[in-house]
Amino acid sequence: MPGESNAVAGVLHERQRPVLLRFVTSSLVVAEMEARKIKHASSELWIRAIQPALWLLVFGSALAGVRDIAPSQFSYMAFITPGILSQSVLFIAIFYGVTLVWERDLGLLNKLLATPAPRPSIVVGKALAASIRGVFQGLLVLALSIAIGTGISVNLLYILGVFGVVILLAMCFSSLSMVIASLARTRDRMMGLSQVIIFPLFFASNAIYPTQIMPEWLQLVAKANPLSYGVQAVRSLLLTQNFTMLPTDLAVLAGYTLGLLSLASLVLRRIAS
Amino acid sequence: MAELTTGQGVAPSPPALKSAVRVEGLTKVYPNGLRAVDSVSFDVKEGEVFGLLGPNGAGKTTVIKSILTLTSPTSGRIFIRSVDALANQAAVRQVMGYVPQEVSVDGDLTAYENLLIFSKLYYVDRAERGTRIREALRYMGLDERSDDLVKTFSGGMMRRLEIAQALVNRPSVLFLDEPSIGLDPAARLEVWRHVRKLNEELRTTIFLTTHDMLEADRLCHRIAIMNAGKIVVSGSPDELKAGVGRELVSVRMGGGGPGGLESGPVVLPPGFEFMKQDDGPGPGRGAGGREDVILVGGRAEEGVPQIVRAYEAARVDVSSISVSRPTLDDVFLKYTATRIGEAEEFRQAKSARRSFRKHAR
Ligand SMILES: Nc1ncnc2c1ncn2[C@@H]1O[C@H](COP(=O)(O)OP(=O)(O)O)[C@@H](O)[C@H]1O
Ligand SMILES: [Mg+2]
Repeated sequence: MPGESNAVAGVLHERQRPVLLRFVTSSLVVAEMEARKIKHASSELWIRAIQPALWLLVFGSALAGVRDIAPSQFSYMAFITPGILSQSVLFIAIFYGVTLVWERDLGLLNKLLATPAPRPSIVVGKALAASIRGVFQGLLVLALSIAIGTGISVNLLYILGVFGVVILLAMCFSSLSMVIASLARTRDRMMGLSQVIIFPLFFASNAIYPTQIMPEWLQLVAKANPLSYGVQAVRSLLLTQNFTMLPTDLAVLAGYTLGLLSLASLVLRRIAS
Repeated sequence: MAELTTGQGVAPSPPALKSAVRVEGLTKVYPNGLRAVDSVSFDVKEGEVFGLLGPNGAGKTTVIKSILTLTSPTSGRIFIRSVDALANQAAVRQVMGYVPQEVSVDGDLTAYENLLIFSKLYYVDRAERGTRIREALRYMGLDERSDDLVKTFSGGMMRRLEIAQALVNRPSVLFLDEPSIGLDPAARLEVWRHVRKLNEELRTTIFLTTHDMLEADRLCHRIAIMNAGKIVVSGSPDELKAGVGRELVSVRMGGGGPGGLESGPVVLPPGFEFMKQDDGPGPGRGAGGREDVILVGGRAEEGVPQIVRAYEAARVDVSSISVSRPTLDDVFLKYTATRIGEAEEFRQAKSARRSFRKHAR
């Protein structure tokens, strides 16, 4: 129990764990916190999978008949599987900022910030937490797509690659959401802003149609949109198996993710106060 | 800031006099220009329960957040056991425990898990974690609910769990921001009992803020009263109350003097003074007879024998005597010319806690 510990002076002189080790441990612990919460409320995972399933089944079926919307060598359902998969990750991740504001309103965020954990590890931990949910979404969308026979390729190695992309996407958009949270600052405004940002991100991308059908200015937006790179990477893994663009796609996505993670770490204290 | 030194019959501060938390000239101006904390200085000694008492908006939470490195002060210095906190943020966070004013346990985790996560974030050795967590839970009387989801807990249990959570790293100073805010009276007493036990048995230094005078009076060895960002006065509760002014003795008198003797005028010894002297039964007075109210120079209890003798000498029959003392509210009144309006904030916090539990369910 507390008391006679030789306090700060001791801690200062004690051989401290290397910063990098503390950073990694703390990030994983913050993610573990989320994993444990999911374990206690696993039904929520299934409920959240309904939306992407509907997109694939209803939207996909509805537009499957429209000619020339997708490259002819694939069915439209196969074409949008990577899009719906990425979209479902986007939808999950973008609400992490809302959670953060909610935890701020309670005392949870401050309590996390008052631990010796390096502050960026809290952001990275939350982003990893979003990845856990993202991976689950990805699994369900893939399973559904395979089950209804869209014709995506089922290669274990490539599917592992897809989950790598899913993790990047989830970290990217959850940190974007945390940055937005620092601007919104209240729960209501945060909810509003998340809704506002989610649709341009989704529709101004190559998720459900090729960007060539867009007007030029929108193509530029889609080109700047990190979601497009994620979708493109997943598409190359699941459909074309043409990997010439994959390194670029991954590099751009990783760049966005790293930039947004750093930005979120910088503004985290702004959310807290 | 006044430092009171009238040292009669004061509850003794613990003997250890090493400084646990020293704050010098702390000032925090928020970006919107509000000067929430204004040149605040104090020194919390090891083993002490130190309270920051003040109304809603006085700046108490801002002081706590500055010490815990959750917000950067505009100016001023902070030392934790003489280590500069601003220059060694992660290291000082390692030795402090914090229970925020708001709910800070996760309703979707079990009690055990809440403590487990924090023990890991404080880098408690794997081998020790289990023991420390179980000990902390037992100490706060929660060992039987260890594996229950926290959203099923009552407000008082959540508060005790929050304290248990802050104990897993064996902090050398524990910070409690409004420890009993929003709790019902029974839960409040229970939290007080645990806080006192922590301090008495484990010698944990405790820094708490409160807007509740009774809480400050019951728990704290020393208090600093804060208003509008400034500390207006500090001292032990007894010193502060003694500083308000004289204490009061009310004397109820029976019928006539004993044995039918004529009673004479009561002559008070020096240092005593009638505030109100009753001449006979009058309108609006109960059957209890006449009542005098006497202002006493020192402590009222010590004046009682002399008062009784004065009444006996005057052959006035005394039926009962009561003593009333100033409260911390009177102290606050004296230094700020207002009373601590607490009812509203109390209700708000309580409903916030309830709505958390509702949402969490
Ligand atoms: N982040 C902030 N930005 C601007 N003003 C703030 C902020 N936090 C608190 N305040 C203001 O500072 C003052 C002191 O607040 P606080 O320290 O919470 O007081 P207390 O804990 O004593 O109720 C209040 O007027 C409050 O509105
Ligand atoms: Mg406060």
